[in-house]
Amino acid sequence: MNKLGFSEEQRDCLQEIINVAMGLASDKLARFLNTFVHLQVPSIALVGAMHIPEEFENRYQDAEAALVSQGFFGDEGVRGEAIVLYQMENAHKISALLGYEPGDVSEIEMLTDISSILTTTFLNGLASQIENSLSYSAPRILSSRHGNVADVLKNTSFHWEHALKVDISYQLIDHSFNCDMILLIPGEAVTNIKHILDRILEAY
Amino acid sequence: MALPVLICDDSILARKQVRKSLPDTFDAEFQTAGNGMEALAVLRSQEIGLVFLDLTMPELDGIGVLEAIKTEAIDCFVIVISADIQPEMQKRVMELGALAFVQKPVSEDKINGVLKQYGFI
Amino acid sequence: MSHAMLSSPVLAQLNSGVIVVDDEYNIHYLNTFIERHGNLQLAEVAGKSLFSVFADLPEAWLKRKLMSVLDLKTPAFSSWEQRQYIFKLPHLRPITSSSQYMAQNCTMLPLDTGVHEQPLICILIEDATDAFVYQQHLSRTLIELEKANRQDGLTKVQNRRYWEEQLKQEIHRAQRYQHSLSLILFDLDKFKDLNDKYGHLGGDFVLVELSSFIGSLLRDSDLLGRYGGEEFGIILPDTGLEGAEEVAERICRAVADYPMLFNQQTIRATLSIGVAEFEPKQHFLHDDLIRCADMALYNAKRSGRNRVCCYQAGETDYHKKAN
Repeated sequence: MNKLGFSEEQRDCLQEIINVAMGLASDKLARFLNTFVHLQVPSIALVGAMHIPEEFENRYQDAEAALVSQGFFGDEGVRGEAIVLYQMENAHKISALLGYEPGDVSEIEMLTDISSILTTTFLNGLASQIENSLSYSAPRILSSRHGNVADVLKNTSFHWEHALKVDISYQLIDHSFNCDMILLIPGEAVTNIKHILDRILEAY
Repeated sequence: MALPVLICDDSILARKQVRKSLPDTFDAEFQTAGNGMEALAVLRSQEIGLVFLDLTMPELDGIGVLEAIKTEAIDCFVIVISADIQPEMQKRVMELGALAFVQKPVSEDKINGVLKQYGFI
Repeated sequence: MSHAMLSSPVLAQLNSGVIVVDDEYNIHYLNTFIERHGNLQLAEVAGKSLFSVFADLPEAWLKRKLMSVLDLKTPAFSSWEQRQYIFKLPHLRPITSSSQYMAQNCTMLPLDTGVHEQPLICILIEDATDAFVYQQHLSRTLIELEKANRQDGLTKVQNRRYWEEQLKQEIHRAQRYQHSLSLILFDLDKFKDLNDKYGHLGGDFVLVELSSFIGSLLRDSDLLGRYGGEEFGIILPDTGLEGAEEVAERICRAVADYPMLFNQQTIRATLSIGVAEFEPKQHFLHDDLIRCADMALYNAKRSGRNRVCCYQAGETDYHKKAN
C-alpha cells in the first residue's frame, strides 16, 4: 500500500473510516433484516487494477458467481465504481432474508437489489465521516452464473489505475454470507481522497 | 487527583478522536493500547479508573477484554466505543459489565453526554 | 420540504417524471411530466395514497423498495430490463413503438428532510422506451441471425454444421438415458441427370421441394439436415432400427410417388436410403454412426437404388462399386 503513496498515518485513517463505515452498515442492515449481523474487520489494500482479476480468479473459479457494478460520485472529486462479487448460493440466502419469495422477482433484480443495499449502506457511512455525500448510478450486472469472473474483471478494470480492495465478510446469525467488495478508483480520485485524509488527520 | 484513563483502539486516528472529544474539565492521565492484549497488560499491572474500549481489534477484541476484566475481577469502568451498535451487541456488552455504549464516529456531544450521565465530569 | 422549492420551473420542464411521497406513501408532489402523462392534477391527488392514485402499481414489490429507502437512507433502483414499467403511462412514441406503455428506469431517493421532519422519498421516472424498442429490434434480429446460422440457405432444413451438433447431443442423450436412437442417410438418385435435364434451377427446385415434402412426413422430434450436395440425414431420437426402417420405407415410397411440377414439366425422383441404429458399445463418436448409415446407403445404391438398406452389425467396410 505504501508504495502506491499512502503514508502509514493515511492508511490507518482510511482503515478506521472503513471499519466505522462497515460497522454503521452492519448496524443498519441488522435492523433492516431483523437479524444479528457480525462483521469482521475488513482488510483493505490499494492495488494496481491490473492485478485484480488474478486475485479473484481462484476464489470464484468453481462456483456460480455474480458480479454487480455500481458507480458512485460525490463532492471534492471522490468517485469510482464499486463491484460486489458473491457466490450465487449466498445470494439465495440473503434474498430470503430480504423477504423475497422464490419466483417473486427475477434473479437479476434480486442480485442488483442485494448488491445495491450492501454498497450504498457502506459507502453512505464512509461519506458521512468525510463530510461528503454520494450519488449512485443504477446497479448493473456484469456477469452471473456461467461467466468467467476473471475475464469480466479484466474487461472492467483495465481503464482504472488503482483499485481499493475491501474484503468484506458478513455473517448473519443463522447463516454466513460472504462477499467481496472492490472499489475501483481512478488515479486522480485517489489523490483527492489523500487530501481528505490529510485534512482529517490535521484536525486531530 | 487525575483519573487514570486507558484508551484502547487499534487505530491511531480513533484514539486521537476520543482524546480530542474529551472536555478540558476532565482531569485525567491518559494511556493508550493498540489491541486487547496490550490493554490487558496495562489493566493487570496498574490501577485504571476508566477504559474507552473499541470492539473490533486484532489479537484480542473488545469482547475478549471485557470477559477478562469480568473473570479476573479487575476494578475499572468501561465505556465501549464502536460503530456497530446493534441491540444484540449492546446487550452482550452490557451483560459483560460495560458501563455505556457510544457509537463511532465519536463526537464531543456523545462523549460528554456519557461522562456527565455517570458523574465523571 | 416546501412546495415552492419543488415546483421550480426546471422540474416543470423536466423530461422525466418526479413524484414525492412521504413515509405513509401519500403524494406530496408530482411534476408536470407526470400530470400530463398520467392525466392528473397535483391539486387533486396531493395528500392521497400513491397506491390509490395509481391503482395498477405492484404494491407489495414497490413498498418493499420504498421501505428499504426509508430504513437504510439509501437509493433503490428499478430497470426496464427487469420490470418494463412501474407506472402505467403512455409514451411519446405512440406510432413508431410496438409497446403500449412507457418503459421506465426508476430511482427512488431518500430526501434529506432533517431529523424532525416527516421523511420523504423522491421517485424519479425516466422514459426508456427508445432503449426498450431498440432492444426488441436487436433481440428479433439476433433470433433471425441464429436461425439463419442453423439453416441451409437453399432448402431451409438444418445445415450440416448444426445438424451434426444435434447428432452429437442426441448421442449423448441416448447414452445417458439409455434411449434408442437411429440415423437415416439418403441421397437423390441420379441427381446429375436431373441437373442435366432440367438445369441447375430444376435441380435446386427438386431439393427444395423434397426437403419440404420429407419434412412433412416426420415427427416433430426428428431432425432433418442437409449433409452435402444431394445427401440428407434424419436423426430419429427414441427410435430403434425397426422403427427407423419403417420410416425410411415410407419416405422412399412417398417420394417415388410424388410428382413435382417444374416449368410445366413433371419431375419424378427416387431416393437411396441407408439406416443405422446407434450402438453404445460400437459407436464412440457421431462419425461412427454416420459411417454405418453411409455404408447402408451405398448398399442401397449398389443394389439398384430407390430402396432402403439397413446397416448389419459386423459390416466393416464399404462394398465397392457404387452409384
